[in-house]
Amino acid sequence: MQADIFSLALIGWLIKTTIQSATPLVLAALGGMYSEKSGIVNIGLEGMMLIGAFSAVAATYFSENPWLGLIVAVVAGGALAAVHAVICVKLKGNHIVSGTGVILFAAGFTTLMLDVIWAQRGVSDEVTRLPQVIIPGIAGIPILGDVFGSLEPIVYMMFFAVIISWYVMYKTPFGLRVRASGEDPSALDTAGVNVETIRFIAVIISGCLSGLAGAYLSIGFGSRFGKAMTAGRGFIALAALIFGGWTPIGSFLAGTFFGFLDALQGYISLTIPELLPYNNFIKMLPFILVVIALAGIGRARPPKAVGTPYEKEKPA
Amino acid sequence: MIETPANTAQESEPTGGGSRISSWLNSIANKFRSKDFQREIWHTVVSILIALGVAAIIMVATGYDPADAFSALGLGALLNFDQVLWRATPLMLAGLSVALAFKCGLFNIGAEGQLYMGSLATTAVGYMIALPIFVHQIACIAVGIVAGLLYGLVPGILRAYRGAHEVVTTMMLSYASVYFTQWMVSQGPMHNPGDWRSITPVIYDTATLPKLFGSSFLSFGFLIAVGSVLIVDFFINRTVTGYEMRAVGSNEDAAKTAGINAKRNMALALGLSGALAGLAGTVEIQGYYHRFYDQWSAGLGFDGITVAVLGRNNPWGVFGGALFFGALKAGGSFMQTSAGVPSEMVQVIQGLVVLFVAAPRLVTWLSKHGVDYASWIKAEPKAGVPSLLSFGYAIFGALLGIVIIGPYVSTNFSLLILGFFVSMASLAVMAFHYQRDQRRTSATFAITLLWVLMLLAGFVFSAGEVMITSAIMAGIGFVFSVLLMRTQRSELELQEEVNV
Repeated sequence: MQADIFSLALIGWLIKTTIQSATPLVLAALGGMYSEKSGIVNIGLEGMMLIGAFSAVAATYFSENPWLGLIVAVVAGGALAAVHAVICVKLKGNHIVSGTGVILFAAGFTTLMLDVIWAQRGVSDEVTRLPQVIIPGIAGIPILGDVFGSLEPIVYMMFFAVIISWYVMYKTPFGLRVRASGEDPSALDTAGVNVETIRFIAVIISGCLSGLAGAYLSIGFGSRFGKAMTAGRGFIALAALIFGGWTPIGSFLAGTFFGFLDALQGYISLTIPELLPYNNFIKMLPFILVVIALAGIGRARPPKAVGTPYEKEKPA
Repeated sequence: MIETPANTAQESEPTGGGSRISSWLNSIANKFRSKDFQREIWHTVVSILIALGVAAIIMVATGYDPADAFSALGLGALLNFDQVLWRATPLMLAGLSVALAFKCGLFNIGAEGQLYMGSLATTAVGYMIALPIFVHQIACIAVGIVAGLLYGLVPGILRAYRGAHEVVTTMMLSYASVYFTQWMVSQGPMHNPGDWRSITPVIYDTATLPKLFGSSFLSFGFLIAVGSVLIVDFFINRTVTGYEMRAVGSNEDAAKTAGINAKRNMALALGLSGALAGLAGTVEIQGYYHRFYDQWSAGLGFDGITVAVLGRNNPWGVFGGALFFGALKAGGSFMQTSAGVPSEMVQVIQGLVVLFVAAPRLVTWLSKHGVDYASWIKAEPKAGVPSLLSFGYAIFGALLGIVIIGPYVSTNFSLLILGFFVSMASLAVMAFHYQRDQRRTSATFAITLLWVLMLLAGFVFSAGEVMITSAIMAGIGFVFSVLLMRTQRSELELQEEVNV
């Protein structure tokens, strides 16, 4: 069955799928941005997303209220990030080692809990999804109706989070402090701001956003939790963050582009099935592009003090 | 960054014996005697114990018996010791890979990718070309190493000459290689014809590594891994290049000033790291799997990071770390069948171990405050003893808060949240007491109130045992709060008198 490549409905479907695939990537990338801007490397995004996805389903299963599931997912992501923050900020541990620990723990813990709660090894029971946001009256309009007729609420939260993050990062004192603690923590300390507190808050925000991203996968787009369901999206989000030059708008654009690549695979399978065997090369693209971006242009510059613990000078 | 002081210390120690080999052997002996080394062992052991403790709490909370689980884990590892060594083989090589790069100050987080590329190349040579027995094995190993080396050199060169951060590039290339190998063995040229799985044909018998001691798991690859530990240790500590790499790793600018080509060393370090990761994949394919299938390694590269972390990037530490995680993995399947604890528990333990080892200051913090706390209780028993009692109460509360909700995990959400809060608050109280923070009194009172809440919740949901336990705990908590309040007041008055 070969559909017409340029049918309006299909293009609408492509745009909608792009936005849907981009949502968890953009949310997690934004989370990573807070953390990295403050000077803490967070490769544990994947683990925080997993915990978020799992807690959303677990809380929804027990309370039968997906909104409560959403809140619990955000809290759980934040809690796991707090562990990362304690190790990196308070105990001055190695950020990447701690991030690895977070990923391993989350992967093991969520699979273990699948067995404990549902006595199943692969996937959880089905739970109630978050209700779709339906905009009345636009269903009949071509493309616009296909795209925005009925979308998950977290998608709109994602757009909102991008704008808020841009505002917070560049227009508020808190954003200035986060950026300063990633660029030159000793200057921030001299100005009388507690670097550790700023970094702690930034890492927890990153966990909360990753938890939200995970919740989108499990109760926004889908309606159940599956073992290792994030499938490397945390790392693609990290790639989007770098590709977007560590900025909110850049992360959004890069995340959307990677989401588009994801949607493109579905589009190709609908339109040109002969290309289907080469899908894997499209999957590889985000990763290769980031390597090229880092190697070629050199424009993507991380925060200067990222990855280095800040030691306050001892009073003489 | 975790730098091993043991190595730098050993540099200054006098080395007896004329030849390089004997002085190297001497240095190994010295290393075991050095104080830094013993302190590191102590830190690692304490970190592992804390991790096991947390894992035990998680088991209790999820309704498993930790004593059963741990004994099954240990017994499983002992009974299947050949499996322990088999599991440890790739872990050792992957751990060496990460540790070697780390010596040069580089974090090879994508060992998984180099491992896949190496094992894919090995498989290709293994089934496509027919060679005589001895030659074929060597050829396979060599090709695997070279493939890993090249795949490690790419991020190495990018890091050295273009400044692209290796954590990001190795990670991204690792994911790219997973998709690439997946394509190669499913739709690509290496797919086993007519097979519905994503799998290659089986390699020739001439390419396989012989098994050791009649075991069906353990192969000659284990000896290769142990040999690699020796070689890497010698290379890092006893050769000029190894010395240069360590110099670049500890201070890049100083090394440059001293005339060391830092860029060349960085590229080479990641290349060699890739070669070791490639070898890890190679021996697994040749020794056990005999063919490449999609995602066969299931995170061996990641495990390499945990092994290197546990071994503090020291070749012999990696050896020990690999045996430890190998034992966990081999015991894990036994634990699943005999104690009914899912083998994912092993992954949880692994994650916890990494988290606690990542924070070496936690152990320092614990021992420092522990000494302070003990001496304070001795000096002022009047204030110290109630604090100690309340400390014990908090430990008890932290455990009970989790244990008591065990039967309600899948039925009652409010009790679950409450129990979780009680435990967390009890942990906070423990920390307050430990640090002799003034907030300990109000915090103890807060848990008392939480237990009262729990009592009410138990009443509402008619959970008998919750009610009884909560009532007892609330009563004890109230007594302790009053005791603490009185001693603290007298302590404050005492301080004021001193001030006056």
